[in-house]
Formats: sequence, C-alpha cells, structure tokens
Amino acid sequence: MHLPDIVYLSPNKTTEALEVIEDCGNSCSVIAGGTDLMVALKQRLQTPKYLIGLENIPEFKKIEEKDESIRLGPMNTLDEISSSDLIKTKLPALSQAAREVGSPLLRSQATIGGNVCLNTRCRFYNQSQFWRSTREKCYKAGGSYCHVTKQKEKCNAAFVADLVPVLIAYGANIKLAGLAGEKMLSLKEFYTGDSCFPNQILNGDRVILTEIDIPIPKNNIRSVYKKFRFRRSIDFPLVGVAVSLDLDENNRCRDINILLTGVGSAPVEIKKAKKELLGQRWDDELVSSVASLASQEIRPLKTNLVSPRYTREIASLKIKEALQEAGGKNGKNY
Amino acid sequence: MERTIEFVLNGETKKVTVNDNQTLLEVLREKLDLTGTKKGCNQGECGACTVLLDGKPINSCLTLAVRIEGRSIMTIEGVAGKESLDPVQETFNEKGAIQCGFCTPGMVLTTKALLAENSNPTSAEIKEAISGNICRCSGYIKIIEAIQSLAEEQEVM
Repeated sequence: MHLPDIVYLSPNKTTEALEVIEDCGNSCSVIAGGTDLMVALKQRLQTPKYLIGLENIPEFKKIEEKDESIRLGPMNTLDEISSSDLIKTKLPALSQAAREVGSPLLRSQATIGGNVCLNTRCRFYNQSQFWRSTREKCYKAGGSYCHVTKQKEKCNAAFVADLVPVLIAYGANIKLAGLAGEKMLSLKEFYTGDSCFPNQILNGDRVILTEIDIPIPKNNIRSVYKKFRFRRSIDFPLVGVAVSLDLDENNRCRDINILLTGVGSAPVEIKKAKKELLGQRWDDELVSSVASLASQEIRPLKTNLVSPRYTREIASLKIKEALQEAGGKNGKNY
Repeated sequence: MERTIEFVLNGETKKVTVNDNQTLLEVLREKLDLTGTKKGCNQGECGACTVLLDGKPINSCLTLAVRIEGRSIMTIEGVAGKESLDPVQETFNEKGAIQCGFCTPGMVLTTKALLAENSNPTSAEIKEAISGNICRCSGYIKIIEAIQSLAEEQEVM
C-alpha cells in the first residue's frame, strides 16, 4: 500500500498553519506524529490533497510549569511525555498512560496532540480499501449503515485514545486556535459523542489544538491508569480506566473521577458509581461492589473482535484494579 | 510534488529528490538501494523497517520522507565498520539470535538505541525495548540473551 498523492506543507507559525487550513478547506488533513494517520492514508480512509505538518512550530514542543498547571505543546511525543521528570512527579498517571501506548518505536513519533485528536476505530472501518469494498459503505466511510449493530441508526466506532481519560480525570483544558482567535475549553467539551466526527476538529472546525493545560493535583489526590489489550505493543485499548481519587483523613471518599476509553463513542465518565462512592469509607468490599456497578454503566459494542460481555467483564476487573491501586497507597485499609 | 531534501544518512550528508507521498522506507529501499531496511507489515506493527532518527528507533514505514529534512538517519548499512561487524551484530551471530534474519536489522538498531541510553538494562527493560520488533521465527529468547550478554560486556569494559 502506497500513500495517495499529496502535497506536504510545514508552516513555521500557528497563524500560517491556520491560513493554510483556511485556504485548503476540506481538502487538507493536519498531521502530528502520523502513526495513526499514515495508516489511514494508506488504507484510503482519508484522501486529502494537502497534508499540514506541525513539526516546525517551536512552541508546540513546550513542557512547562506555570501558575499551578502544566502546559504541554501538542507536538510532544509520547516518549517525551513519559520520560519527562516534571510529568513523572506532578502527573504520574499521564506518564504511565503515555508509556502504555503501542511500542517504543511508535512512542518516539506519536504525539500527545495526536492522541487527543485521535479518530475513533472499528473493525469494519479500519481495514484496507479492498477489504471494505466487499461490504456496504458504513456511516464512518460516508454510507448509511452500521455493520456492528446491523442497523441504519448511527456510527458506533469506539473512542480509544489512552491519554484522554487521564487528562480528563486531571481536569485538563485545551486551547484551540482559529483565525478568529483562541478559545480555552475543558477537554471533555472537545468530544462530540458522534463516532463519525468524534471531536470538534474532525467535526469540521478549522482550528488547531495549540496547548493542553493540566492543573497540578494537590498532594493527597492519587491518579492511576489501567489498560487492557491483547497484543501489548500493537493493539489499541480494549478498555482503559483512569481514576483520580481524593480520600480524606478518615479514609472517606471526598472526590473521585472514573473515566473509561475503548467502550463508547467518546471518553465515558462513570457517574452512578461515583455517587455510591462519595462520602463512603474506603474498603475492599466497597471497591468490589462499585467496580461491578460501574461496569454496568457502559455499553460496549462489538467494534473489535470480542463480545461486549467480555469487554464489560474486563472493564469491571480493570476498574477494580484502578480503584484498589488509587486507594491502596493512600487509604489506610490496604 | 517532488522536492530535494538534505539529511544525514549513516554519517554522510545526502541530497535526494523525493515525492511528498513517499515514506522514508520507500526512499531508502527504492531510491537509495538500501534494502537492509525491510518492508514488513507497512503499518507500524512489526518493526522490520526500524531505522534510527536522531538516535531514536522509529518505524520508517510511518515516516514521510519530506519530514526528515535536516535530521540524521542511521540504517543497518551504517552500523558495521568497513572491515568488521558491529559488536551488536557479532553477538547476535555468536548467540544464535538470528534465524531467518528478516527482523534482524530492526532488532540490531533497536538494541543499539537501547544500549546507548541504558548500558545495563534488566530483562524486563530489554523486552519492553524490543516489543515493537516482531520476530517471525519467534526466536526471542536468543535475542534477549544476546542483548543481555552485550550489556554484561559493556559493564566489564
């Protein structure tokens, strides 16, 4: 498989990049590390005329601490994120999640910005052009049928970015720059919940992600990321669980965020189970019952090769593991 | 669109005309006849196309050739000296860490990058480092042993 014909542009400034995007309209794609997009191009999932590379914009490589937050440029590679001492100490779960992505070869090119803007995936969509030509066009490929649910309802491709649930658990905000100006929004708002156009950029907004801003958590907050996939260095997560937990001095749950990837059209926030946990004394029994309850909140579909029931079972185990680890080192009962 | 790019290839500055839609792998194999870099899955899973970009191992099948302008690439052809093999290659030979040899260029380059960064890796660190290089003969045990013995040699030196 070769790449389609493209013209490659690599602007030196954000404004220059935005002007190029405005000029090219819908016939361009922005490329960060390219580890996902290059495969999509080879499979003709996307056939842009222009590719706009962001590697020459210097501020997109920053990692800095300012005003109680860590500010990251989108072009930091996952290798840089996982090996940064600042991130290791202040945002350990982010460092851990970055280390869990793919292989070291991929991590030295894949970027945090690319992960935040990652497209959704499905076993009926992420295939070669030839493979796809044997079936009716699905929603994501521009048709009007979903091979997963066998219905003409909507696309169900899964959101699979590893870093995003962790970033949302940390309360991250992002900066989007357009020709009209910049706007800051919480990362959660960036996702549309529509598998066809999963985020504002893929939904057609002519903006670039210019910064990821993560408030440094207070000392007592513990965060972890747990992930399951079959082939460690190859597969996207079947399920990824991010937990940030705040226990008070009496070992009661003051605040908790549980976010999942791989099991919906967008990052999934566990809400009912959260209510069960707030104010409760943290112990093994509570963790087990809540993990099982939390896994009932998700609606996994057969977007990969395993059954939804299997995914739910794995999700329950991973949520339990994450809760235990988050509470374990802080909580007194472990 | 065609353009001429300049980069450092195995220690020497190289100018080459590439098309915007060519990957680094295609340029190395088809334009520069450096066929030591292998084409396997061509989608970033197998690691047969591994080269070092500024000392870091990457999948050259996922890298646009135009993006390496001004950077430094090392392929397997740049590893050995004129007269002798590189110690990593020697040890892979001695320890039987080669079967069909298809993954070997990638394995050797990944090993070089690992040992440059960490002269005494643990078994877990070795496994993690080569996790992006798939050996289709499944000869991992010998490969890990070879890397371990290289690390021990470095320790002695």
